[in-house]
Amino acid sequence: VVTGEIVSQLGQLTIRIGEDDIAIEGPATGQAPRAVPGDPASLRRWIRFDDAGRYRPLSGARSMRANWQADLPSIAAMDAAIEAVYPLALEHLAAASEGRLRIVGLDEVLSRQSGRYQVAAGLGTAGRDAATAVLCARCVKSPAWAGGATPPGGIPCPEPCSVLVALCREAALWEREPPEAAPVNAEAAFADFETPGNEVREAYLRLRKDDLG
Amino acid sequence: VTRALVLAAHGSHLDPNASAPIWAHAERVEAAGAFDEVRVAFWKEEPALSRALDGCAAGDVTVVPVFISSGYFTEEVIPREMNLCGPVTRRAGQVIRYTSPIGAHQAIAGVIARRAREAGARPADGIAVLGHGTRRNPKSERNVFAQAERLAASGAFAEVHAVFLEQEPDMRLAFDLFATPDVVMVPLFIADGWHVGQSIPADLALDGDELRAGGRRLAYAKAAGTHESVADVILEIAAEASAW
Repeated sequence: VVTGEIVSQLGQLTIRIGEDDIAIEGPATGQAPRAVPGDPASLRRWIRFDDAGRYRPLSGARSMRANWQADLPSIAAMDAAIEAVYPLALEHLAAASEGRLRIVGLDEVLSRQSGRYQVAAGLGTAGRDAATAVLCARCVKSPAWAGGATPPGGIPCPEPCSVLVALCREAALWEREPPEAAPVNAEAAFADFETPGNEVREAYLRLRKDDLG
Repeated sequence: VTRALVLAAHGSHLDPNASAPIWAHAERVEAAGAFDEVRVAFWKEEPALSRALDGCAAGDVTVVPVFISSGYFTEEVIPREMNLCGPVTRRAGQVIRYTSPIGAHQAIAGVIARRAREAGARPADGIAVLGHGTRRNPKSERNVFAQAERLAASGAFAEVHAVFLEQEPDMRLAFDLFATPDVVMVPLFIADGWHVGQSIPADLALDGDELRAGGRRLAYAKAAGTHESVADVILEIAAEASAW
């Protein structure tokens, strides 16, 4: 740490605020970081894919590209950059610290679904717990809606995301017709839970193999 | 009173390009300077619709659904997720105006015309306004037919008809609908996603961005929803809502 430099962590981001410069960095694996533009639109496009080129529909997914750095001209630009990488994270951190974070639980979120997601409300407690365990373990956000505390450098998650709802939908269908497990296909889209080989799907099926037919 | 605009859109868990036009429209709207804050919110991406107003301190908020059809998403999902009760919701000192989707606004007919001309449409040509359509929801077709009727009434082109991906009139029979030798088909879709970029060109057996058969030509335009002038439509919708 350079004298006067403040280094902090937010999810997979490292934030460096020096006397004359500000930067955010992706996960480091020992390689020299690549400089990427720090404007929100460019960053949004940059973090949209992982190092293997897979689309990341979940901003908190622990699959952020490694070894990059974006230099930023001001604190305001840094906040905008963080907002692009982790939407609403700063607002939710502030709200949590001030005791005003609006929390909505999984039961409420599933019960209000309609259309093709209405079936998700039929998922039992064990299924909900397994879906939460499998998906949230792959996300840097701490599910405040499940009663969890947010560790230093973490981001509180106030409400189950649409990806978890989609997983609960599939899981509810799997309870009716248990599918065959399949080898994990690293190229399968992250949120394509209908496709055998999807890593989240296979992790869920492994976790519940004794319960599902 | 500070003013905020929220673009409420679908997004996708699977298609990385689905939200790109929404962000682009938001940037253009923000650059216009009419609002103190411009936000986006998605059904399938982040920020989520249900958290769209977290931390929003604006006293006057306008929510514009960036959808083509009026129906399930605009009448059920967005109001439910954003806790809206009709065109105007008053909550905790905040006025939230909820507009019709962009696909219902009259100015979209002009966007379709611009897309058609960019694809080479001349006054003597026919314009096929291509909608998704679905047999499951009769409301899905309404705005597509309405925009086709508006464009026809403008007299800018010799003939205008609505065609659909998943209902009648079938887009694959477009030549049968038109008396004009040449037809320009404009997808009335929000994004150049899987349908516009892949499934429709395959179903139409396009060669590049055109189809030639029996001395006739069908030119395939880009999606109307990605046109930069959609930002102007959004601003117009928001301006109209501010008078409510």
